[in-house]
Amino acid sequence: MLTDSEMLRYSRHLLLEDVGELGQKDLKNGKVLIIGMGGLGSPAAMYLAAAGVGSLVLCDFDCLEVSNLQRQIGYQTGDIGGDKVELMKHRLEMINPEIRVRSINKEMAEEQLLMELMMVNLVLDCTDNMASRQMINAACVKAKVPLIVGAAIRLEGQLMFFDHSQADSACYHCLFPNSDEQALNCSNSGVLGPVVGTIGTMQALEAIKHLVGLPSGIKNKLKLFDGKTLDWQTFAVKKDPECSVCGKNR
Amino acid sequence: MNVFVNEQTLEIAPDCNIEELLEALDKPLQGTAVAVNQNILSRSLWSDYSLQEGDHISLFQAIAGG
Ligand SMILES: [Zn+2]
Repeated sequence: MLTDSEMLRYSRHLLLEDVGELGQKDLKNGKVLIIGMGGLGSPAAMYLAAAGVGSLVLCDFDCLEVSNLQRQIGYQTGDIGGDKVELMKHRLEMINPEIRVRSINKEMAEEQLLMELMMVNLVLDCTDNMASRQMINAACVKAKVPLIVGAAIRLEGQLMFFDHSQADSACYHCLFPNSDEQALNCSNSGVLGPVVGTIGTMQALEAIKHLVGLPSGIKNKLKLFDGKTLDWQTFAVKKDPECSVCGKNR
Repeated sequence: MNVFVNEQTLEIAPDCNIEELLEALDKPLQGTAVAVNQNILSRSLWSDYSLQEGDHISLFQAIAGG
């Protein structure tokens, strides 16, 4: 049951045929792990908190720097030097005191990540480096937890959804098998705030849809966003039978 | 025969495969993702796939930033 204050707070969800009271309860029961509290994680976490996702776990190990503020819209100038997860936890609790937020203020090793995965329905990869992305993907494959991956650089974004609860799902490693490569990141290439914000917002949208049971149009797809033209390209990703993470020889 | 690489027309030898195409374009094999006609082609299939006249090939890099 939703309380009276929840009925008021989420009234614009309750008006939606696709969400309604049942969907709002699904959101309330939702448990989402968001890894990375930067330009992707800021809008993703704030939208999920505002939407009433009942349990959010935030993970990051960075302190806020002044150069983050150009795009990481969850933070303020006075926050500089603070731990991002603690700042964001506080911010989310201010947005919505009806939800529970837990912070993990360190880089998780695989073992701890696998433990955390047992307690969530969904993971958002909002990290900023290839090694973390590969590690999170492998753990989600192992734990069979759905994974929504966002990434952005310059004026380009990438978005994918791998539902690892499905045995035939492709994975991040099927698409990008070389974990040792020098992949582009924000500190070496620059990025526009609204571009990374668009991708983080899309991760939140897909997360809400997944939690309320709406079908996703992007499972096993890679969406490329071009911030110059606002065009989206869509590519189908098939499970690679030779994939060392999700394939037959793993 | 002609194919399209990131929307640019390119003339290539018949029965050219993806690996040969990347080499001809001087693209690194590492870190490049390839789609043919909107379908991602796994790395393990690059040397097997012979390009067909009019194929649309998309080449792009993994992005890690966030
Ligand atoms: Zn895979």
